[in-house]
Amino acid sequence: MDLTFTESERAFREELAAWLAANPPGPEPVGQEEAHFGWRREWQRRLYEGGWAAVHWPAQYGGRGASVVESAIFFEELGRAGAPLPANVLGLLLAGPTIMLWGSEEQKERYLAPILSGQEIWCQGFSEPDAGSDLAAVKTRAVAEADGWRISGQKVWTSIAQHAKWCMLLARTDAQAAKHRGLTYFLLDMEQEGVTVRPLRQITGESEFNELFLDGAFVASENVLGGEGNGWKVALTTLMNERAGLAFFLQVRMRQLLEALIEQARRRERLDDPLLVDRLVGLHMRCEALRLTAYRGLTAIEKYGQPGPEGSLTKWMWSQTNQELCQLAVEVLGAQALREGAPWAYELLRSRGNTIEGGTTEILKNIVAERVLGLPKAR
Amino acid sequence: MDFDLSPEQREIQATARDLLAARSGPAVVREAAQSRREDAALWKEISELGWPGIAIAERHGGQGLGLVELCVLLEQAGAALAPVPLLPNAGAALAIAHGGTPRQQERWLPALAAGSASGAVGAAGRDGCLLAAAAEADVLVVLDDRHGARLIERSQAQVTPLPSIDPLRTYVEVEGEGEPLGGDLAAARDTVAVAVAAESVGVAARALEMTLAYVKERRQFDVPVGSFQAVSHRCAEMLLHTEQARSVLYHAAWASDAEPARLPQAASLAKALAAEAVVSVTASAIQAHGGIGFTWEADVHWLYKRAQMNAVLMGGAGEHRRRLAALLAIAPAG
Repeated sequence: MDLTFTESERAFREELAAWLAANPPGPEPVGQEEAHFGWRREWQRRLYEGGWAAVHWPAQYGGRGASVVESAIFFEELGRAGAPLPANVLGLLLAGPTIMLWGSEEQKERYLAPILSGQEIWCQGFSEPDAGSDLAAVKTRAVAEADGWRISGQKVWTSIAQHAKWCMLLARTDAQAAKHRGLTYFLLDMEQEGVTVRPLRQITGESEFNELFLDGAFVASENVLGGEGNGWKVALTTLMNERAGLAFFLQVRMRQLLEALIEQARRRERLDDPLLVDRLVGLHMRCEALRLTAYRGLTAIEKYGQPGPEGSLTKWMWSQTNQELCQLAVEVLGAQALREGAPWAYELLRSRGNTIEGGTTEILKNIVAERVLGLPKAR
Repeated sequence: MDFDLSPEQREIQATARDLLAARSGPAVVREAAQSRREDAALWKEISELGWPGIAIAERHGGQGLGLVELCVLLEQAGAALAPVPLLPNAGAALAIAHGGTPRQQERWLPALAAGSASGAVGAAGRDGCLLAAAAEADVLVVLDDRHGARLIERSQAQVTPLPSIDPLRTYVEVEGEGEPLGGDLAAARDTVAVAVAAESVGVAARALEMTLAYVKERRQFDVPVGSFQAVSHRCAEMLLHTEQARSVLYHAAWASDAEPARLPQAASLAKALAAEAVVSVTASAIQAHGGIGFTWEADVHWLYKRAQMNAVLMGGAGEHRRRLAALLAIAPAG
């Protein structure tokens, strides 16, 4: 057990921090969605030129071959510097690693470089109106043609679809097969007839998500990933990657929000209220427990190739803590925090999504109960 | 960054788990609880294995390992509710090792490490005095926030037994001048608090293990009750609390061994979270066992009773949260 960073991990952090200091991301455009995405595109371009776009990718694909700890350090420092996630975060974290694992040489050759540079943005077409937590229930149909597939159906919660060139798409190719067996993973070109993107307005007023309508959209045979009928297995690779590095970005952001709240409470001379102080301490404790539990998870991945029991807990811990933090901010700052456009108002509303996106807390508890604790399948 | 037990530490863990599974099973624990007697033969064996002195320097007759190794043992002792005074002995030794004068260390550490002297340790404060003790403790260490720490030999001490709800350990109050400890009193308090947290994490882990076994077995409405989300989600929460407490526990134990500057915050975090976790997890264990969990016959109540005592021992969650607020400068100290 050694909770200090190794010399090379420290060197990695220092090199990155120096680069970030020399290349500040610039002010975040608030309340303007197009400008905000432009800011993230520009940020990815600079990361790419600096050689920082995908530290976790192997060097042969243009990454740095960073260890899982270094990858966590990358996201911590990104968060600390007030930088956004790069525009193509779904490509970098999800599509890229999935293609590396399942893709043919031609596919790797074709897709990885433009993911890294941000030239081609990716989105993820998994969830459907009737396939949310029960993802294997997807109904979107793919019908075989001579040289490819015609795809029809509807996807939902598709982030960044309005900017995306490609979509990781899960569709049913065999209606007769068992639920998990009849699925295939496609790389869908978004720029074609038969693909319609409609923004979904969320409770914050902005539109991070979209509905995606597919009406006979075409995917060539060479754009099947991992083979026909293997979609569920390939999708699991994507889903596993979803929970890794991001946790550290979010964890650092939450810590910054907590520090900001403590500072605001101090300025308003509220820290003489022992009830408030105790709740702030409680949030500090949970942020620390989350950070340390996440580090434990990294060691488990590094040593055993997979997270231990603690690995399934961090998203759950983060989402609940973040919600409570935002709620406390409103209680401390009152109506001021609830003014339209106020940063805390945004954080408060956005945090409601935390316990839903990327697996609801209820589903996470089911996963913990069944896979970690070995309890019978839930009813 | 390596946040995992080393192969050697895993071996210590496995040895302790196997020995205690064989020698401190439910029947032994029940017998010890009913008679309120320590298991002298087991204690002798454990002492010969060097457990009480595992974190004591070799020059004082210990094994010269760290607080991490002691926490590994205490977790197992807590999980087994072993009727031996490991925490009182090892805790008194920790307090003397960090807070004692060289003469006090000479005098007591070799005997405590060997198990030939028995110890008691605890804190005195606004809410009175509470020590976890070996049955006939030779030396009692009181870590008092207001009056400094002191060491009292049995012959000088007025010891008042505190018959508690936890029949598997002796708790006492003590009065007497004794002699002041003169070393790093904060480290003495912090390491003992971490030791209590370690035992508590073991208690919580065992409560979860027993609960899982029960809810997989127990059937109602023709299915195992563990298949109901109301039950399985409770179990998931028990895991969450246990693992959070374990993360901050080993961070604190490691800090004590390797980066003492981090210890004050880490120790209070570990003690506060362990106290909250062990109480909620053992309470959940009773609930998930249903009616049977409320009976004397089921063994979960021993865990719940130890949880309550450990939560208070060396300061409750509230006290450590207050200290954290001061250390973090969220609130003015004092």
